[in-house]
Amino acid sequence: MGSFLTSRNVADVLGGLTNGVIYSLVALSLVLVWRSTRILNFAQGAMAMIAAYIGFAVLAPTTNYWVSMAVAIIAGLVLGGLTERVIVRGLYGKPEINPVVAMVGFLLVLESVAAAIWSTTSRGLPTPFSIVDWQINHKPVALSPFALYEIVTAVVVMTVIALLFQFTKLGLKLRAAALAPEVSRLLGVRVGRMLTLGWMLSSGVGAVTAVLVASNYFTGLTPTTMDGVFAFGFIAAAIGGLDSPVGALVSGVSLGIILQFVGDYLNSNDIILVALGMLIVSLMVRPNGVFTRSAQRRV
Amino acid sequence: MGARWNQRVVAGTAVGAAAVLASWLGVGTARAATALSIAAVVLVAALALISSSEFRRDHPVVARAAISVAAVDVSLVVTGFFSSTVDSNLAIGAAMSIVLLGLSFLTGSSGQISIGNGAFMGVGAFTVAIWANHHATTPIAVVLLLAVVAGALVGLLLGLPATRLRGPYLAGMTLAFAVAFGAVLNLFSTWTGGDSGLQLPYAVNAPAWLVHFFQPGTSSLTTNSVWLVDVTIVTAGIALFFMANLFASRTGRAMRLVRDNDVAAELVGISLPRARVIAFTVSAAYAALGGGLWTIINNAVTPATYGFALSITILSLVVIGGIGTIPGALIGGLIYAFAASVIAWFTAHTGLNPQGNVASQLNGIIFGGLLVLTILFAPTGIAGFVRRRWAAWRSR
Repeated sequence: MGSFLTSRNVADVLGGLTNGVIYSLVALSLVLVWRSTRILNFAQGAMAMIAAYIGFAVLAPTTNYWVSMAVAIIAGLVLGGLTERVIVRGLYGKPEINPVVAMVGFLLVLESVAAAIWSTTSRGLPTPFSIVDWQINHKPVALSPFALYEIVTAVVVMTVIALLFQFTKLGLKLRAAALAPEVSRLLGVRVGRMLTLGWMLSSGVGAVTAVLVASNYFTGLTPTTMDGVFAFGFIAAAIGGLDSPVGALVSGVSLGIILQFVGDYLNSNDIILVALGMLIVSLMVRPNGVFTRSAQRRV
Repeated sequence: MGARWNQRVVAGTAVGAAAVLASWLGVGTARAATALSIAAVVLVAALALISSSEFRRDHPVVARAAISVAAVDVSLVVTGFFSSTVDSNLAIGAAMSIVLLGLSFLTGSSGQISIGNGAFMGVGAFTVAIWANHHATTPIAVVLLLAVVAGALVGLLLGLPATRLRGPYLAGMTLAFAVAFGAVLNLFSTWTGGDSGLQLPYAVNAPAWLVHFFQPGTSSLTTNSVWLVDVTIVTAGIALFFMANLFASRTGRAMRLVRDNDVAAELVGISLPRARVIAFTVSAAYAALGGGLWTIINNAVTPATYGFALSITILSLVVIGGIGTIPGALIGGLIYAFAASVIAWFTAHTGLNPQGNVASQLNGIIFGGLLVLTILFAPTGIAGFVRRRWAAWRSR
């Protein structure tokens, strides 16, 4: 049993799972915004990065980790709401490339402003748990207390979002505003407010993700920390289908595990290439994602 | 009826001849005056053709050629008077305007957007460098054509999924390609030279007879920088000519219908997948041509140049200039040529530390901010704004 847990393949699965839940969180964040406003938020990673900086760079380095995390989440919620009110609101009903362009511009602004304020030098984040792998018979299992904390956090975030959408009145309003805005408006749902809330939730999830990413990876927190993670998260969301939270979860974790095997058995340079290949093949076979029931687009 | 524009050409050439006389009197050397005279006659003849609405209607292709010739003509004369720094900036900007023409066509004709054209530029840039390193004797025009073909092939490959994708999915896929491009180069590192990239085995210099005729005695550094900008401008002129015809062609019109209403387009028998793939391939080929020219101008290519940031810059330029239009692409190229100088000037005059964080990020803050503001408040960019002002002024 011990040798099984420390074997190469189990190590790949565990390592892939740890990366995969991060991709799932990014994908979930994208899905939340896509479902409510039909906008693919290219600035998702940059917004999350800003929230992480506010939590961990504005406060003194000695501040308690959990306080910093809470501040980052609040910053994420506020930033998401502001983005929807100030930028996104003007884009509804415009040609579909306009939001793409606007969010790419916003991404550039956020990364440049972050670099102007906090410089491009990487900064290490404190970790609440040890990042040293557990050992069985003096051999490492590819799982550390911190990695377990990441996985648990991701599961908690996803569960909270799922419960909110499925079992609360607010969740019902959020879903109604996204699926049938006109009818919802007639029935007294404040649709505009719900859209803002959707962006806030998405950005809050992003903030948690960025904090986890910045403290786990040896790259630390830089203005471009989230670029690569965003690319993988987008690939996961696109493969799963931008409409499907379950798809985001499943394809994020699967992508993480597959890519871990690729990195281990081939080499690390091939990871992004395999991911790109998977994206292209998946989009050719199922343009709307694996987990989306095909729907006729309105003319 | 055709006689009227003939008269214009004759009259125009007469004016050109007058300009020739004036330039002989005003310019120091006979050779410089000869050059100016040729330019003046060509310009006046081209303008004479363009100015006739009748001629534009009867011979649209020739009229477009005349417009391209006039634009190239003026640019060539102007570059003769600038310092070599300004000239090399202009060359970089002219190559960029070719890339922007391609992206403008993609958006203007099919309503799609690409965030990966920086990577397509890289395809062209590395094709030129790799080919030149293995076959140093191939004429540079042929090498550039090879870059165009390579760009078109990669564009076609990535464009195939585009046949079934709409807006954001396609944009996301091109973004993934831009992020993955560095890894693609690494995969073939024995050819692409890894992180340090490649040097061209030779410098692309002005032919000896030209130097001997026009500028005997000038330092070869100056002549060569003028030559590079001239080569780039002529290439841009040719690219402009083809693009203008493509926009106006049957294919171009079919594609605009795809952009405006793809369901209606399908109903009148236009093949959507075909239209989308053509637009995507053309845009990639143009990007590769621009990238190939960059390799020639810089005499080298490094992978870091063709990262994700370049793709975002390209998008900013085309949107700020005026997306989907030819003038917009040219304006974007001009902005790119002078942006660095203007920002450096701004830094110097506001007392910012040029090595500081803020100064090094000004470029991104300004371009990103302008990109968001443009799409929110003036989605047609500078070209659209000027056109509306012009129309309002005309109708007063």
